[in-house]
Amino acid sequence: MAEPILQVTGLVKHYPLTTGILFKKQVGAVKAVDGVDFHLDRGETLGIVGESGCGKSTVAKMLVNLERPTAGEIRYKGEDITRLSGKALKSVRRNIQMVFQDPYTSLNPRMTVGDIIGEAYDIHPEVAPKGDRRARVQQLLDVVGLNPEYINRYPHQFSGGQRQRIGIARGLALRPEIIVADEPVSALDVSVQAQVINLMARLQDEFDLSYIFIAHDLSIVRHISDRVGVMYLGRIVETGRDAEIYDHPTHPYTQALLSAVPVPDPEAREHRERIILAGDVPSPTNIPSGCRFRTRCWKARERCALEVPALAVPAEFRSVSGPAAHDSACHFAEEKQVVPPETDDGAGHGSGPG
Amino acid sequence: MLLEVRDLHVEFHTRDGVARAVNGVSYGVDAGETLAVLGESGSGKSVTAQTVMGILDVPPGRITSGEILFEGRDLLKLKEEERRKVRGAEMAMIFQDALSSLNPVLTVGDQLGEMFTVHRGMSRKDARAKAVELMDRVRIPAAKERVRQYPHQFSGGMRQRIMIAMAMALEPKLIIADEPTTALDVTVQAQVMDLLAELQRELHMGLILITHDLGVVADVADRIAVMYAGRIVETAPVHDIYKNPAHPYTRGLLESIPRLDQKGQELYAIKGLPPNLTRIPPGCAFHPRCPMAQDVCATDVPPLYDVTESDAERGSACHFWRECLHG
Amino acid sequence: MPDQEPYEPERAIAGTGMGGTMDLGASEAVTLEKAPGPDGGSPQDKPRSLWSDAWHDLRRNPVFIISALVILFLIVISIWPSLIASGNPLKCDLAKAQEGSQPGHPFGFNGQGCDVYTRTVYGARTSVAVGVLATLGVAVLGSVLGGLAGFFGGAGDAVLSRITDIFFAIPVVLGGLVLLSVITSNTVWPVIGFIVLLGWPQISRIARGSVITAKQNDYVQAARALGASNSRLLLRHIAPNAVAPVIVVATIALGTYISLEATLSFLGVGLKPPSVSWGIDISAAAPYVRNAPHALLWPSGALAVTVLAFIMLGDAVRDALDPKLR
Repeated sequence: MAEPILQVTGLVKHYPLTTGILFKKQVGAVKAVDGVDFHLDRGETLGIVGESGCGKSTVAKMLVNLERPTAGEIRYKGEDITRLSGKALKSVRRNIQMVFQDPYTSLNPRMTVGDIIGEAYDIHPEVAPKGDRRARVQQLLDVVGLNPEYINRYPHQFSGGQRQRIGIARGLALRPEIIVADEPVSALDVSVQAQVINLMARLQDEFDLSYIFIAHDLSIVRHISDRVGVMYLGRIVETGRDAEIYDHPTHPYTQALLSAVPVPDPEAREHRERIILAGDVPSPTNIPSGCRFRTRCWKARERCALEVPALAVPAEFRSVSGPAAHDSACHFAEEKQVVPPETDDGAGHGSGPG
Repeated sequence: MLLEVRDLHVEFHTRDGVARAVNGVSYGVDAGETLAVLGESGSGKSVTAQTVMGILDVPPGRITSGEILFEGRDLLKLKEEERRKVRGAEMAMIFQDALSSLNPVLTVGDQLGEMFTVHRGMSRKDARAKAVELMDRVRIPAAKERVRQYPHQFSGGMRQRIMIAMAMALEPKLIIADEPTTALDVTVQAQVMDLLAELQRELHMGLILITHDLGVVADVADRIAVMYAGRIVETAPVHDIYKNPAHPYTRGLLESIPRLDQKGQELYAIKGLPPNLTRIPPGCAFHPRCPMAQDVCATDVPPLYDVTESDAERGSACHFWRECLHG
Repeated sequence: MPDQEPYEPERAIAGTGMGGTMDLGASEAVTLEKAPGPDGGSPQDKPRSLWSDAWHDLRRNPVFIISALVILFLIVISIWPSLIASGNPLKCDLAKAQEGSQPGHPFGFNGQGCDVYTRTVYGARTSVAVGVLATLGVAVLGSVLGGLAGFFGGAGDAVLSRITDIFFAIPVVLGGLVLLSVITSNTVWPVIGFIVLLGWPQISRIARGSVITAKQNDYVQAARALGASNSRLLLRHIAPNAVAPVIVVATIALGTYISLEATLSFLGVGLKPPSVSWGIDISAAAPYVRNAPHALLWPSGALAVTVLAFIMLGDAVRDALDPKLR
């Protein structure tokens, strides 16, 4: 098997909590990311799902070197990029780019679209010779489905969906190999979300990109991802191929999350089992001992408070080879189907109208 | 009908001209019924609700015509004083962002109790007891202790429960919930929607649920009204609309949701973008984006045709609803 | 609490209504489609920066036009006072002391028999010079220090914040009386220096806050992810987006600096005769207000109009730069 393009091991990010104005004293830490491992193969899409505060955005920031991890490694083609600086960092940055969530704050309102996308070439002049830059920017606009003539416009002249296309064009400018997309469609209207998702899927083929796709919307993640990791309170609790996670979840948190997603099918509402979790996510400053999900878990027993479950194929599934045999950090993992099997006609009539 | 909105028109005066936010909306809710108003940003769904509640900012907004009949009385003809008595006591609203809808310097007990001291003339002590009772009812644990806490001491889900408690306080006949769970995480969203549906059944209230989420709608609604560019384009019982939409916009929305059996394929996407409300296209506002559009769509505004097929009442504002239903 | 404000009007409305052009969005949307739509040639399709939007607004604001004309006039006469006043402000004739308006001397004479009109015209030079130079000094010093502190944070920021706190505790007039009374030079420089010394913390605080706000925007993160250097982040991304509040506060402060100069001169620690300043003239005329009110009225009127013009200009600029206030 080929070496993964990105290998993350033991990634940790703690933000110290301090008191005092001039002389600071640490009194605790927000454990935003608390030991995350995953890998990304070339050309694939890894989806990371989780609720707000689970640390998924912090992971994204560390991947593109906007935050420095407290501990752990991020290996890009075998090289740890977390301790790089200067030239070496700059060249890694060329290859790992980010698409942001909010199309309204991610574009500088004082710069034209041409300057925003072309800035990549100012910073990395070796990528494109000076005379060539304008043409390259226009080509990128064309690639993301915008009129190349609008190169001199300002972001506020575009709608949310179009701004997100500009953000994607900026991410593509340096021809990166990996794109980290942090909730790229959650700020967009439903009818525009599909356009952006399709664009991202097309670009992946066209530019041979590998995606880390971070979102809270489980159905969008499933649509675009090859593999999925479910995060809870700073850790990945379950990971596997999309069908393994969605159709054969073994971790109770994944099961609860999947069962809570409203399904756009009114027929399903009567005969659907819903797992309603008690309470709220604990504070990341004060993570429960043992399994971090145990405070909301209906299966929790004494062992869960004492022993941290490892992210591995649970013992009971190790002997079987099937979709249930994937990594799940639960002492009492068991398979449970929570997403109703797709009826052949849930919404509409299959093919698009007209 | 508990509430009936008839041919409501609302516009906003802006720097770029008149934004026609609501262009002839009519809908109705019965006691005990849940009407979901579905639409994207700029569809006019929230402006309609704010007009019904009487909390629209005027100016910049202006109600140019229409009637809002609440138990037969036209609310738009009431004096502000009478209108205020209706608000809170007979109809209440739940907003998306509970944190900014609660007063940060008052305890939740004071804010809940205020409903009773102001509207029912209760003593502070009785009102406090009522507040605890309400918090119990929306299942906030340790209500007796937490009644003295401030809004920021509660989590997002708990705050939304407090908002629900406040809306339910005077047992109104109608609740308008504007994206009540959009700001919440899925697991918490499920808790809150369940609670809302349960209380609605118990108190036999009418519920108008404003949302953009097709999943939430499918879970709780009885009827759906789909809005686009300030008009209702389709209205139908929830089962019919998901099974067989009668308007190309509804159909496009439903098909643009990622589905398991389409995995890996291109998603169906409605082309283009919703119109600017200062420049709504002539004829059918959806025609520039519509895959079924013909010449007539660019010139004639389609009325809300009666497309009832079985016994349930349905309407579609599409010239080609037949083709859409049977295509 | 049903009577409370709605959380958020729908975005498109907010866009066209309150946000001005911030979210013109959808309409352009149709025209920005790859194949230009039917209304592809509308005038709105020209590129418009936020600055040109602000200028577009300002040109239509009567408050801005009036205050800008007043300020333009002040600047012209402070550079070329002889354009409208042919006399010499220092040529006084005690014989004419306190005399009223007469041909060639529309504002009359003051207690020393100097022509009030000529002195009022020449006084503008001092006020404008002090106001403009002090504001420049304050703005440069304050925004550089505040901007760097806000951008880099850390210990330097903590130290700077404490220093600004200390400066805020100094009473301005008292400080002026103490510091300026030991200086003998009779030019505008000590006054300007004093104002810069006490004025920079105000701008520094504003600049720091607005840099911190701008720094958190995703576009700064995006540029950083591209590998942009700190100086690029500061100059290309943060400064242009953080400068608006500094400009607004500085414009309003300019008016108050002019009145501060007059106050200090009135108290005898700013400029001293034979310099010409409205403050000196107000001070000299004050004892004779019963006999010769005109000698007090004209310089104080000029001072009031000047200060007001700058404050109004600041207000107009703020409205233009912050569409949310509309």
